[in-house]
Amino acid sequence: MGVADRTLRSQGRPLLNAIINPIALYLLIALAGVGVCLALPRKGPSPQALGGLLAAAGFGGLVLALTLWANESGAIPNPYFYVFGLVALGAGLRVVTHPRPVYAALYFILVVLASAGLLLILSAEFMAFAMIIVYAGAILITYLFVIMLATQAPSEDMIDALADYDRQSREPVGAAVAGFVLLAAMTTLLFRGIGPTEAGDHAPGHGAPALVAKNDASADAALLLRLPGKVETELRELGLMEHDEALVRDASGALMLDPVAREAVVVEPDGTTRVVSWPEGELNVQNIEGLGFNLLDEHPGSIEIAGVILLMAMLGAVVLSRKQVEMDEEAKARQARRLSAELQATAVERRS
Amino acid sequence: MMDVIASTLAQSGWPEAMPAPTLAHYLFVSVAMFAIGLVGFLTRRNLIIMFLCTELMFQAAGIALVAFGRYHLDYNGQTFVIFVVTVAAAEAALALALVVLLFRKRESLSADEWAEMRG
Repeated sequence: MGVADRTLRSQGRPLLNAIINPIALYLLIALAGVGVCLALPRKGPSPQALGGLLAAAGFGGLVLALTLWANESGAIPNPYFYVFGLVALGAGLRVVTHPRPVYAALYFILVVLASAGLLLILSAEFMAFAMIIVYAGAILITYLFVIMLATQAPSEDMIDALADYDRQSREPVGAAVAGFVLLAAMTTLLFRGIGPTEAGDHAPGHGAPALVAKNDASADAALLLRLPGKVETELRELGLMEHDEALVRDASGALMLDPVAREAVVVEPDGTTRVVSWPEGELNVQNIEGLGFNLLDEHPGSIEIAGVILLMAMLGAVVLSRKQVEMDEEAKARQARRLSAELQATAVERRS
Repeated sequence: MMDVIASTLAQSGWPEAMPAPTLAHYLFVSVAMFAIGLVGFLTRRNLIIMFLCTELMFQAAGIALVAFGRYHLDYNGQTFVIFVVTVAAAEAALALALVVLLFRKRESLSADEWAEMRG
C-alpha cells in the first residue's frame, strides 16, 4: 500500500484529472442513461430496481467527480447541497419512471421541496418559500385533482389496473440517448469551460468558480438609503436612537446615511444633529427586500404582463372546461362494451 | 486500502473543508434535472406525466437562474424565476383544462389520441 500511497501523493493532480477525464465522465453519463432507460416502465418483467441502481451510481459518480474537480480550487459545497441535490435528482427520476400518475405527482412535490432547500443554500429565501407555496401548494394540487378526475379504474375489481399508456413508455432508448447526449454536452462545458470566446480571454477550465461569500454587505447596502422605516426601527431597537429623534434628509430629499461606513445622521427634538454609527453585522438588507425592490422598481411592466397572462389563463381554463363535449363513436362503443362487461360479471356472480 | 482512502480524504481536506459552494455544482444538478425531465417528456405517453416533466424542466431552469443570480450578486435571476413560476402556473391551468376536455371526449389520457386531431 505504501507504493500506491506514494504514487497517489506524487501524482495527485494527474489522478484527479484521470478520474474526471472525458472518457470517465462520459462513461458515468452513459451509465446514468442506461439506468434511466432500464428504469422506465415497460411491458413484461421490468428491471426497474437495477435501472434505478445504475442511474444512482451514474449520478453519484458524476457528483463525486464534480467535487474532486472543484476541490482543486479548494471549493467544496456544503453537505446540505449533497442531501438536497441528490434527493432532487432521485425524486426527479422517480417522477419520470413511476407508472402511476398520482405517485409521480407526489414525487414531484419532493423535487420541489428539495430544490427549495437548494434555493435556501443559495440564500434565496423568498424564492424557496414561494416555490413551496406556489408549486407544492397550488399547481401540484391542481394536478392531483385532474389525475383523480381523469383516471378511472375500468371496473371495480380492477382498481389496481394500469392503463396501457402508463405501462409502456415510448422509445425509451432514443429518448435516453437524446437527453443524456444533451447532459454530456452541458457537463463538458461545465468541466472544461467554453474556451476563449475572444482573443485574450482565459479559458475558465481550471477549478470551479466559487459562489460569492454569504454576506456581501456592499452589494445590497445601498438599498438602505431607500428603507428609512427599516433603518429607524432597527436603530431604535439597537438603542442607538431615541423615540423622539428622526433621520435627517438633505436638500434633495435623500437620507443622510452612509451604508458602507455604517453611519447615519439623526436630529434630536431641539434641532441638534448627531452622527450615529451601528456595529457591523446589524442592519442587513434581507433577500426579500432586495428582491422586492428589484421586482417592483426595475420590472413593473413585466408584472402587468404577468397579470394579463394569469387572467387569460384563468379565462381560457374556464371557457375550455365549461364546454360540453360529445363523446365520439369510438368512446361511446367503448363505454357500452364496459357496461355490458360489468353487467355480465354481476350476472355471473348472482348465478354462482 | 485504508491508507489510500485516508490519504485521499486527507488530500481533499475532508473533515474540516466546508467553505463556499460552487456555481458548477448547482449548474450540474440543474442540467441533470433538465435531462431527466426531457427523457420523461419524450418517453411517457400519459399527458399528465408529460406536463409534470415540463414542470421538472422549469424547476431545473429556476435553480440555474437563481445560482447565476447568486454568482453575480444580482436579484434579476430571482425576479426572472418569479415570472417563470407565473408562466408555469398559467400553463398548468390551460394544459390541465385541455387534458380534462380530451378525457371527456376519448376516455383516455394517452398523448397518441391527439394525433387524430387536425385542422
